[in-house]
Amino acid sequence: MQSSRLSPRFPGQLLDPAGRLRFGASLALVVALAVVAALVSISSGAYPISVTDMLRVLAGQPGQDAAARLVLMEVRLPRFLLGFLVGAVLAVSGAILQGLFRNPLADPTLIGVSSGASLAAISVIVLGEALLGHWLHLAETWALPLAAFAGGSGTVFLAWKIARRAGQVSVATLLLAGIAINAIAMAGTGLLTFHANDEQLRSLTFWTMGSLGHAAWHDLVVAGPWLLLALLMAQTLATPLDAFLMGESVVGHLGFDTERVKRRAILVAGLGVGAAVAVSGLIGFVGLVVPHLVRQMAGASHRTLLPICALAGGSLLVAADSLARVVVAPAELPIGLMTALIGGPFFLVILLRMNVS
Amino acid sequence: MTRVVWLAALLLAWAGVVRAQPVPERVVSADGAVTEFVYALGQGERLVGVDTTSRYPEAVGRLPKVGYLRALPFEGVLALRPDLLLTTEEAAPERNLMRLENAGVRVVRLPVAWTLAQVRERIRRIGQTLAAEPEAERLIQNFDVRLQAVEADIRHRGASPRVLFLLVAGSHQLMVAGANTAADALLDILGADNAAGAMEGYKPASREALIATRPDAIVVAEASAGQFRVSDWPELALLDAWQRERVYVGDSMFLLGFGPRLPEALEAVNAVLAP
Amino acid sequence: MTVLQARQLSVALAGKTVVEDLDLTLSAGEITVLLGPNGAGKSTLLGGLAGELPITGELNFGGRPMTAWAPGALARQRGVMPQRVEVNFPLTVEEVVRLGRTGGDRRADEAILAEVLSALSLEGLRYRKMPTLSGGEQQRVQLARVLAQILDSQGPRLLLLDECTSALDPAHQQLALGLVRTLARTQGIAVLAIVHDLNLAAQFADRLVVLKAGRCVASGPAEEVLTPSMLASVYGYQARVERLAEGYSVIVPVAGAVQTAPVKPTCRQAS
Repeated sequence: MQSSRLSPRFPGQLLDPAGRLRFGASLALVVALAVVAALVSISSGAYPISVTDMLRVLAGQPGQDAAARLVLMEVRLPRFLLGFLVGAVLAVSGAILQGLFRNPLADPTLIGVSSGASLAAISVIVLGEALLGHWLHLAETWALPLAAFAGGSGTVFLAWKIARRAGQVSVATLLLAGIAINAIAMAGTGLLTFHANDEQLRSLTFWTMGSLGHAAWHDLVVAGPWLLLALLMAQTLATPLDAFLMGESVVGHLGFDTERVKRRAILVAGLGVGAAVAVSGLIGFVGLVVPHLVRQMAGASHRTLLPICALAGGSLLVAADSLARVVVAPAELPIGLMTALIGGPFFLVILLRMNVS
Repeated sequence: MTRVVWLAALLLAWAGVVRAQPVPERVVSADGAVTEFVYALGQGERLVGVDTTSRYPEAVGRLPKVGYLRALPFEGVLALRPDLLLTTEEAAPERNLMRLENAGVRVVRLPVAWTLAQVRERIRRIGQTLAAEPEAERLIQNFDVRLQAVEADIRHRGASPRVLFLLVAGSHQLMVAGANTAADALLDILGADNAAGAMEGYKPASREALIATRPDAIVVAEASAGQFRVSDWPELALLDAWQRERVYVGDSMFLLGFGPRLPEALEAVNAVLAP
Repeated sequence: MTVLQARQLSVALAGKTVVEDLDLTLSAGEITVLLGPNGAGKSTLLGGLAGELPITGELNFGGRPMTAWAPGALARQRGVMPQRVEVNFPLTVEEVVRLGRTGGDRRADEAILAEVLSALSLEGLRYRKMPTLSGGEQQRVQLARVLAQILDSQGPRLLLLDECTSALDPAHQQLALGLVRTLARTQGIAVLAIVHDLNLAAQFADRLVVLKAGRCVASGPAEEVLTPSMLASVYGYQARVERLAEGYSVIVPVAGAVQTAPVKPTCRQAS
């Protein structure tokens, strides 16, 4: 279907006839971006490592500095990979929700999906000991991501149910529902905070601020498969999501099972955001900013939007994370703070431009 | 019998390992009280970094800050190339502490010290770790001398006074210290009753509940001088304890740190407990 | 050749039966226009036939029960154009029309794309983004998408059009309806359309079906159905019908009060 854009009739031209970057060109751009982000992420940090040492370690040769090896292989590499996956999933989930709700402002954090997931995870932390007893250590590995996932999908579903009137999703209702859901989740979090002991409180700040600070290979093992699954499942939704942009009924007219598409989209967004929240806490605005930029650059068709969003989202989060650990080194800023700092003003700019047009 | 021999051998071997620890030259201290002790033992020049709870003495201001002790960054600490991370059981996240050990940093996590015996033990541990045992013993002696007067007061006190211990949190919130808090431990040493002892941990104070406590004395811990203003809390001024000026307002780290300034803190609070 | 046949069809909207006990037959190459006042159930009927709303009764498409069709296969045979489609995302005209080719024969994509774009004079807008188009232009794009969907299919084909020209200027109205008419004739596509403009309906339709309160009250060729008495009883609209030429009528309102009269169902049409 996209054959004309995948194999441009005028090779060598960067722009397509619609004045956007061709798929190949955008792909090349975001891949380059990802490579730069990877290099920056792996080479920046409080611990100074020379380029030669870095190359030695990455090539598997024993370096002069054993600590450098540890920093690179056990800290920066898993942190980069996890950050990239989380960023990719957040951006793609944002794009999916925006398509599903037919609204460019449907960000997982704005409509409450992230806080729903985070509330569920916090419940497991605080109430887990009472509910699960000494099964808790198992819970930390599996129940936490599962709870976050259930909380995430549950909230998408709830927002969907509330915002839909006679087959149409009302944007205003959706955003208002998001405010209410966020408030409820925040109240729930507050209530649990009141009951939490000091040790639990430490974990809670992580969930509400977001952090990649203790990313390890273990996290990739636990959440990686789910994040990848969400990314792959998302690609299968590309065409029906394009149809969704024209309204729910058109999806059915084109021969798709509308309800199944919706269920899948909710599942993917819930699974993705849930798994992302489970390992990195609450990171906002990636799902809003990235799809918006990519649409401007490479068009709105989900066949191109989703893969490019994945790469761009991963790169952006990794870059933000690199910044977060450099600005106040040797201490670190929470990544959620960084993305909100960048994304908040961006959101306002989108709103202003929408008002103008 | 053989088991005993084995155990003895193991203990000796362990002791050998402990003895074999080289004297740390580059120390990161992640805990306000621990940092104060390091300075009090005259070992301040060994510090290469501290956490954000370390705000005293003034000399810490020139040291790099590695963040909050409950969210210690791995790379940030490692970048200071310490040979020792001196901290408490409160330090987190666990994973980063493990990684630091793997990277060859000795991590010493001191247990909670909320009684005088525990504080003495803590001073000894820090002294051992920094190869400053004589300084540690001298500090403990000073401690004991200063505490004699307070301890005499405690012995001669009849009924235990009921004390309301408040913590200033932000500009418009007070937290009441309940059981299982450093504040409760401080009152315990002084032989006073915690007026909010029925609660666990620090809880936001409601204005009505404050009046209902009817304490004999009030202690307020603030994060920075002048943070607490009684004009924000007029009902406190109505309390009997306030009108009889049995009130002490002081720095939270000074009051609740259980560091080298503990004797002064005990003296200060004790002063408002006397009827 | 019968493409679609409904017997005693009822369609419910939000749990309430809106269209009741309707018999309808659509034949290949024939254009049927649904008429009726607001709220008569025209769009609901179309929704039922498009598979959006629950139906009871008998509904056959191409000789098989509608429910026996796989959704993907049905999409190649039945094109549906909803009343209003707004696209807020920067999809291009080409991308929207290509969506109509979902599940179709890929080798035919380019040729059909070119054909429908040119037939609706959209070539110049091919790479324009949807939100930059006018309402009428967007409507033509949607029609192109719906046509691209069924144009190269074999077997029974049906177009369901809900006010597909409401936003078009008169020239483009003639262009779009003329195109639909030509395609119906040459390709044997059955068409069921909702048209509000009575003059346009009379000109465009082979047959009119008039609904009121969910029931069929009249059906047949325009010259039989479009009568002052029907207009008065169905719409409560006092008007004269002036025939200008073969197939062209003008309905002229008569000064006076608009009134409604009770209606009895009078048609149960033969197949």
